[in-house]
Amino acid sequence: MNSNAILEIRNFSKSYGTDKMAVDKLSLSVMGGDIFGFIGHNGAGKSTTIRAVVGVLDFTEGEIAIDGHSVRDEPMACKRVTAYIPDNPDLYENLTGLQYLNFVADVFGIGAAEREERIRKYADMFEITNDLGDLIGAYSHGMKQKVAILSALIHDPKLLVLDEPFVGLDPKAAFTLKAVMRDMCGRGAAVFFSTHVLDVAEKLCNKVAIIKRGRIIASGTIEALTEGHSLEEAFLEADSHE
Amino acid sequence: MNNGIILLKTLLLSTSQRNVYSHTRDKKKKRRIAWSITGTAIVYALLMAFSVLICIGFGTFGLIDAAPGMCALTVSLLAFVFTFFKTNGYLFNFREYDMLMALPFETRTVAACKFLYMYVRSLPWYMSISVATMIGYGWYARPGFAVYPLWLVLSLFLPGIPMLAAAFLGFLVARLSAGFRRSNIVQTALTFAFVILCFSLRFFLEDVLANDRVQSTLVSISGMTGNAARLYPPAGWFAEAILRRSLPGILRLTGVTALLFAAVFAVVGRSYRNINSALKSHAAARRFRLTAQKPRSAVLAIAHKEFRRMIGSTPYMVNGAMGMLLAALLSVVTLVIGFDRIVETIVRGAPVDPAILRPAIPLVVYFFIGMVATTAFSPSLEGKNYWILQSLPIEKKTVFQGKMLFNMALTVPFMVFSTLCLCVSARAPALDTALYLLLGLALCAFSTAWGCVCGIRHMRLDWENEIEVIKQGAAVAVYMLPNLFAVMGLAVLVVFLGMRMDSRVVTIILTLVASALAALSYARVMALSRRRV
Repeated sequence: MNSNAILEIRNFSKSYGTDKMAVDKLSLSVMGGDIFGFIGHNGAGKSTTIRAVVGVLDFTEGEIAIDGHSVRDEPMACKRVTAYIPDNPDLYENLTGLQYLNFVADVFGIGAAEREERIRKYADMFEITNDLGDLIGAYSHGMKQKVAILSALIHDPKLLVLDEPFVGLDPKAAFTLKAVMRDMCGRGAAVFFSTHVLDVAEKLCNKVAIIKRGRIIASGTIEALTEGHSLEEAFLEADSHE
Repeated sequence: MNNGIILLKTLLLSTSQRNVYSHTRDKKKKRRIAWSITGTAIVYALLMAFSVLICIGFGTFGLIDAAPGMCALTVSLLAFVFTFFKTNGYLFNFREYDMLMALPFETRTVAACKFLYMYVRSLPWYMSISVATMIGYGWYARPGFAVYPLWLVLSLFLPGIPMLAAAFLGFLVARLSAGFRRSNIVQTALTFAFVILCFSLRFFLEDVLANDRVQSTLVSISGMTGNAARLYPPAGWFAEAILRRSLPGILRLTGVTALLFAAVFAVVGRSYRNINSALKSHAAARRFRLTAQKPRSAVLAIAHKEFRRMIGSTPYMVNGAMGMLLAALLSVVTLVIGFDRIVETIVRGAPVDPAILRPAIPLVVYFFIGMVATTAFSPSLEGKNYWILQSLPIEKKTVFQGKMLFNMALTVPFMVFSTLCLCVSARAPALDTALYLLLGLALCAFSTAWGCVCGIRHMRLDWENEIEVIKQGAAVAVYMLPNLFAVMGLAVLVVFLGMRMDSRVVTIILTLVASALAALSYARVMALSRRRV
């Protein structure tokens, strides 16, 4: 295991049936300061990997470590430094946005002053401050996504894991999220996210991995992967060779 | 604050109608919540009145000392049954699983909090029975003041052991089914198997407990309570603590509950993530081939969708099909044992001609089959997916016709099977059998349409867990309670009238009334689908 990596995945495999591997011996490292894009077709194994990384999905083969802690053996230590935003966040609809953020802040033990400052800062950035008193059930998909993002940022995580984070966000919110991701990485944290939008990955990430049928088929820095072409071309090229 | 307490508080707040009332701007929603709270208060009042009446019965016959044991048994039995049916939806495979498990909670904390949430939510029901019995007991027994706080505190522990036992059984069912590809079906089959086992045990125990052929029903119940307390010790500990202020009784009830809680969640916590991972993941078919698909009409398509929805959800299948299973079970048992012998067992040797009970056959079958109509909760079950139906180029009435068609397709075959089995066993003449089948059909139609009226009128789409609408929804309560009481009353009435006039005429009249009610309910569904949704 690479001790400097914030996220280290080694030979991770997961099968749902008896014979079909959803993910097959996947290995990758995400270092502090990395914005790591995880791209692939629908059903390629992106969400399975992400759910195993954040401790939601049980696995038996391979090893996943966050900030030097094993996800399997020390899940609490891993979760304390990680934040996860699923592709379709299932939040408590009968809570207000603020009640939900307070719940997450309570779980992470964030003090009152710090909590207020962070909620105010990010809610203003995502222009949702005035809606925080409303029930989440009354929010649009994008607003729910924004609350999920706020809840992920409230404890200042070392590793931010996102599954298709730009789906449903308005252009301004998407821009803000990208800025937040860059800012986090500038402070030494890491971002690991899946996306289908190759343009976003190309402009935002410094590293990407392409997954197909549960296996990594290409991985590295954007420059090394594209070699002067676009990421879309590199993706299609890698895809056609497999 | 402890993370478990934070989670429990949030789980309770997230389903609190008061919280919604305080923060919603939707006046219609506020009105609906106010009505729902009023309705719930009425049901609480009825439950308390019923418990007080039982105490009055005990008190009048000088058997008030049986009241604590009876209360303990009632609460325990209800807690066990309701928890067993809810465990699957609350403890496992719930919607916000990913969100919760990604937060820094121990797996056993999440499992335990989900259980405690179930406990706190159902506690007011059990407390209403217990407090009402305590009042009745206090009135007749005039115990010392210390009994009241003791009763109240121990009442908090009473549902604990049966709920933990039911949750553990639910865990075993989930654990066993998690290894299968069609885990939902296996889970449902195992749940049904446990229910059948419980029912068989119930009859066995009843036979064991009621072997002393006592005269009065209350004395019989009192005797049974004593015997049952020996078989189910926690009820005995509670009675002992109340009647004799026994410290060992108090310590046993509280201590065993606490120990069992710790033990159950130590075990459940270990495989909790593993079970949920298996239940929430679906293996892709290896060699799927797209074949020619069969086109269906819109109504049939909705009915078929409803069928797929049912087999995709264990709570739906268990609650929607439980009545059918019990009806089929009863009819097979009757066919094997014989109608006359069953009647003899029920009337405990009293000189009753089994033939006079025949007219009640369709109502007995309907008691089970009409227990829950899927149409009462299926409109609410659409939840966040309601937009799919709303955006389709079909009228709302088509949607509800499809849902009603599905319920008919589910209930009618079981009704026919059960009625035929019972008629064969009771040696009913062919004409009577045909009339019973017609009445059964009319009752199924009424149940389906009336369930749909309740389902539309009390439609609730903003649920967190499907159990909230399948088991605890206002629509189901409004449909089920009057229906159950009415059918019990009608069964007695047809037997009574059948002794005074031609029972076939009674059956025909009842069929006409049920058909008229079914037609009226159907018309109401059509009217509601034009106006409301």
